[in-house]
Amino acid sequence: MDSALHHGAAAPASAITLLPRPRAKTGLLGWLTTVDHKKIGILYAISAVFFLLVGGLEALLIRLQLMVPNGTVLNAETYNQMFTMHGTTMVFLAVMPLSAAFFNYLTPLMIGARDVAFPRMNAFSFWTFFAGAVLLNLSWLPMLAPEGYTGIGQAPAVGWFGYANHTSTTYTPGLGTDFWIVGLQLLGVASVVASLNFIVTIINLRAPGMTMMRLPVFVWMTLVTSFLVILAFPAITIALVELMFDRSFGTNFFEVAKGGQPILWQHLFWVFGHPEVYILILPAMGIVSEILPTFSRKPLFGYPIIVFSGACIGFLGFAVWSHHMFTTGMGKVANTAFALATMTIAVPTGVKIFNWIGTLWKGKIQTRVPMVYALGFIWMFMMGGFTGIMHSAAPADAQQQDSYFVVAHFHYVLIGGSIFSLLAGLYYWLPKMSGRIASEGPGKLGFWTVFIGFNVAFFPMHFLGLNGMPRRIYTYDGNLDWNLWNFVSTCGALVLGLGIFGVVCHIVYSIFKGAPAGGDPWHGRTLEWSLPSPPPEHNFDTIPVVRARDVHWHDKHTSEPAPEHPTAQHEREHGVHMPDQSWYPALASFGLFILGSGMVFKPKFVAIFGHWSIVPILGACIVVMASWLWALESPGGYHVHPNGGGAGHGRGGKHH
Amino acid sequence: MGRSSSSRTPTFRRLAALGLAALALIGCTGFQMSGPQSTLLTEGPVARMQTGLFYITLWVTVFIFITVGGVLAYAQLKFRAKPGDDDTPPEQSHGHPLVEMGLIVASTLLLVIIAIPTVKGIAFQEDTPDRENALVVKVTGYQWWFKFEYPELGIVTANEMVIPTDRPVHIELRTIDVIHSFWVPRLAGKKDLIPNRANHMWLQADQPGYYWAQCAEYCGESHANMKFRVVSLDPTDFAAWSQRQLADARTVAAPVAATTGLDAADMPRFQLASAKPAGTEGASYAESPFAHWQMMQAEPTAGSEDAALIARGHQLFQQKSCGACHTVRGHGSMGNIGPDLTHFGARTTLAAAVLDNTSENLHRWLIDPNGVKPGNIMWKQGYVGYNIQLTSADVDALVAYLHSLK
Repeated sequence: MDSALHHGAAAPASAITLLPRPRAKTGLLGWLTTVDHKKIGILYAISAVFFLLVGGLEALLIRLQLMVPNGTVLNAETYNQMFTMHGTTMVFLAVMPLSAAFFNYLTPLMIGARDVAFPRMNAFSFWTFFAGAVLLNLSWLPMLAPEGYTGIGQAPAVGWFGYANHTSTTYTPGLGTDFWIVGLQLLGVASVVASLNFIVTIINLRAPGMTMMRLPVFVWMTLVTSFLVILAFPAITIALVELMFDRSFGTNFFEVAKGGQPILWQHLFWVFGHPEVYILILPAMGIVSEILPTFSRKPLFGYPIIVFSGACIGFLGFAVWSHHMFTTGMGKVANTAFALATMTIAVPTGVKIFNWIGTLWKGKIQTRVPMVYALGFIWMFMMGGFTGIMHSAAPADAQQQDSYFVVAHFHYVLIGGSIFSLLAGLYYWLPKMSGRIASEGPGKLGFWTVFIGFNVAFFPMHFLGLNGMPRRIYTYDGNLDWNLWNFVSTCGALVLGLGIFGVVCHIVYSIFKGAPAGGDPWHGRTLEWSLPSPPPEHNFDTIPVVRARDVHWHDKHTSEPAPEHPTAQHEREHGVHMPDQSWYPALASFGLFILGSGMVFKPKFVAIFGHWSIVPILGACIVVMASWLWALESPGGYHVHPNGGGAGHGRGGKHH
Repeated sequence: MGRSSSSRTPTFRRLAALGLAALALIGCTGFQMSGPQSTLLTEGPVARMQTGLFYITLWVTVFIFITVGGVLAYAQLKFRAKPGDDDTPPEQSHGHPLVEMGLIVASTLLLVIIAIPTVKGIAFQEDTPDRENALVVKVTGYQWWFKFEYPELGIVTANEMVIPTDRPVHIELRTIDVIHSFWVPRLAGKKDLIPNRANHMWLQADQPGYYWAQCAEYCGESHANMKFRVVSLDPTDFAAWSQRQLADARTVAAPVAATTGLDAADMPRFQLASAKPAGTEGASYAESPFAHWQMMQAEPTAGSEDAALIARGHQLFQQKSCGACHTVRGHGSMGNIGPDLTHFGARTTLAAAVLDNTSENLHRWLIDPNGVKPGNIMWKQGYVGYNIQLTSADVDALVAYLHSLK
C-alpha cells in the first residue's frame, strides 16, 4: 500500500462528498462502512458459518424425510425446495464465502501488504454477496406462497443446477425460479469483483522479496481460484441472463416449443459448474498446505510441484465439464475425450496427496486441533478422489450418474475435503483473528464427532447408489433394499449436525473465552505469524522485506537482521497512510438488492406501480449514483503512527 | 498430543477391533446390494460391461488406497512428536524430484489400466449390435410416466416395457416435456431424454425376467414417483404378448346395472389426504413378480367378473371424459395425453409403477391421485380442471372396468 501514500497528496480539491466519510471504527456503522480487509474477512466468516448452519438444517430435514421408506416429514414440493436450497446454500453461501473469508483476512497478511488493492471494492463484494444471500433466502417467507401451493413460501424447487427446461415458466411458473436466478446473479457479481481484487492484490502488492515462488501456497491457491472465478462465472451469468430473458421477455434460448435447446443450459452450467468444484476445493488445498508444514515443523514437500499441480488443476478444470453429462447422449468421441481428460486431472490431484505425505515424512508431527482436521482432510479427500476416478470411467458412470453414489462422492470432496479444511483453517487462524486460542480437548471431541458422523452419514450412500437409489427422490418404497442404509445414514447425519453445531459453539466460545494466544502460538512459518494477534489495523508497522519462502520461519532461525523497507523511514516520520471508510460500497450493493428484488417480484410490482420496471430502474439508479459518487469521493485517508511518534492520527486528504 | 502412542495402544486396539467388526458387518450386509434396482446384480450385456468396469476402477483404487493410505498411516504414527523430544526442528528438506516424477508416472500407468476398458466400453454401449435385427422401442417421457411404442409392431403401451430375450433392443429416447432419464439398473446404465434432441441406447436381457426401473433425472414435483418396469420374455412368449397387445380392448358384454350407487351430484366433493401411505411393498402378491406378471396376462375365468359393474365402469369412463386423455382402443376412447389403457388390466403396476395393480390400490389412485402422485396432470388438469367428481361406487365400477382390460 505504499502507493497510497501519494494518493492523499494528489486528492482533488473538488471531491464530491454527499455522504461524509464515516469515522466510526466499531458498532453497526463501523462494520457497515469498513474497508479493512480483516473486518470484511470476519463479516464473510460470520455470514458463511450462519449459512452453513442453515444449509445443515436443510440437510437434516432431507435426511429425516429419507430415514424410513414413505417418510412423512416433508411433502414432495417441500423436499424439492429443501435439496435445491441446501445445494445452493452450501455452495454459494457457505463454502465459497468461508473461503473468501480466508482470502480476505490472510492474503494481505501473507504477502506483506496493508490491505487489498481496492478496499472499497472489497466492501462492495461482501455487501453484494450479502444482498444475494438475503434475497435468495427471502423466498422462504411463508406469506409468499400462492393459494394451494404445497411448498414453503416460494423457495425454488429446480435443483442447484436448475436444468432447463424445467426452469421455464411452463413448469415452474412461480417466483421460486426467479429468486434463484437473481440470487445467483448477485452472488456471481460479488465473486467476480472479489476475485479481480485478489488477483490485483497478489500480483501488485507483494512485499519486496516476496517473489511468486515464495508465495505461501494458500496465496497461490487464492490466485488460481480467483482466475477460475473470473473465467467460470461469466458462463453461468450468460446462462442466467438467457433464462431470465426467457422467463421475463419471451426469448427462446431454452423454450422447447420455439426451438430452444435445453442441452445448451447444461453445457453453460457445467462450464461454470466444474471449475466451481475447484473453486470450492483449491482454497481448501491451500489451507492444508499451510497447516501440514507448520505442525510437521518442516517445509512443504515439493513446493513447486504443489503450486504447479494447483495451476494445472485450474486449467484442466475447464476441460472436463461434460463429465457431468456422460448420460446426455454426447456420442462416442465427446464421451471418450471427456473421460480421458477427467482421468488426467487425477494426476495433479494425486501429486498433491503424495506431497502432503512427503511433508509429514520425517517431520515432528504435532497433532493439535488444526492438524487433526488437516489429516482428516487428506484421508477423506482421498476417498472422494477415488470415487471421482470411478466416475471418470464413462460407462461405469452411466450406472452412478444421478444416484446416491454421486451424492456420496461429492460430499466426501465437499465435506471431507472443503469443510474439514475450512474448519482446520478456522482453528488454525482463530488465534490470529481473535487473539485467543481454542482448547484442545473440546476441539478434538468436535473433530471426532464430525468425523464419525460424516462417515456414518455418507459412506452408506455408496451402497445405496450401487443398489440403484436415484438422487432427488423425496420418497422410496420399502421393498428396494434401501431401508437399512438410509436409516444408518440419517443417524450419521444427526451426529454430524450435532458435531458441526458443537464445533461452531466451541469456536464462538473460544473467541471470547479462549486462552490468550500471542502472536505466534503454532510456531508458524508465514508472515501473518510475525504480527500481534489480532493484527493492528495497518497490519505491518513497516512493510517486511522477504528473504525466503516460509519467511517467518526463516527470520526466526537466522541471526542476520532483515534489511529495511525503503519506505520505513518515511513512515516513521509521517505515519502509515490508511484508507477512509465509505458509505458507497454498501449503498451500491443495496441498489443491486433493490434491482434484484424488482426483477423477482415483477408481478407484485405491476399490481402496485402499474409497470414492473419501476423498481428495477430505481435499483439501477441507486447503483449508478452510488458508483458515481464513489468514483468522485476523494481517496481521503488518514495516518496512523504505529511507533507512537508523530502527531497521533492525522486525518483527511489535506495532509502533507 | 502429549501422550505417547504406546500408552494408547490398548484403546487403539479396542478401537481397531471395533472398526474391523463394523467393517465385517458392512461386508455381510452392505456389499450384497441385492435390491431389485441393484447395479451389481446384472442381467444383461450392457450392465455387465458397466459393472465390470466399475470393479476394475474399484480394485485399482483399493490398491492405491492400501499403498498410499498405508504410507500415510505409517507417516502419521511414525513421525508423531514424542514427549521428551528436544525442541530442535527436523531437517528442513524441500522435496525429492525423482520421487515425485516416479509417483507421477506410476499414477499415470494406473490410470491407463482404467482408460483402456473405458474407451472400449464407450464404443460398446454406444452402438446397438446387430442393428438390423434389433427390436426398436420408442420411449417418450412425460411428467411422470413413460410411454413405450414399438413402431415395427404397431404397439403402444405405458410404464411396463416388454422385450424379447433373443435380440438387442434399440431404444429411442424422446420427451414430451422436461428432461427425464431412462434407467433399468440391472440391464443398462441410464440415458437422458432431452427435449429437442434424439437420444438412443440399447440393452438386452439374458433371461426372461422382471426388472424394476426408475427415472433418474430430477423432473419436477413427483420425480420420485416416475418409475417403470421392464419384462423380458423368450421369443415365443414375446410373440404371444405382441399379438395380445395388437388386439383391441377386451369387452365384457352385459347390460348396464340399474342402480349404481349415489349420483355424483348428491355427494360432497372429496377432501383428499395428501400424505402418501405405504406403496408397493411387494406384499400384495405371494408369487415372484415375474410369475405374477404372467398370471396378470391371463383372461379372467368366465363368471369371475361382475359384468354389470364393468359395463357401468365403461359408461362412467366415457361420461367422466377419461377418454379425453386416455386411449382404450375399440372402446371409443382415443386421448393421447395420458397412458394408453387398452391392456391396463394385464399390467402389474399402476400410476407409473408407484402402486401394485390391485383393486384396492387402483381405488386409492382414482379417489386420490394427488395423494399418490403429487402434482400429476390427471389431478391438476383433469379432476380439478374439469371438476370431475367420483363417488366411491363410481370408483368401484371404474376399477372393475379397468381391470377387465386384459
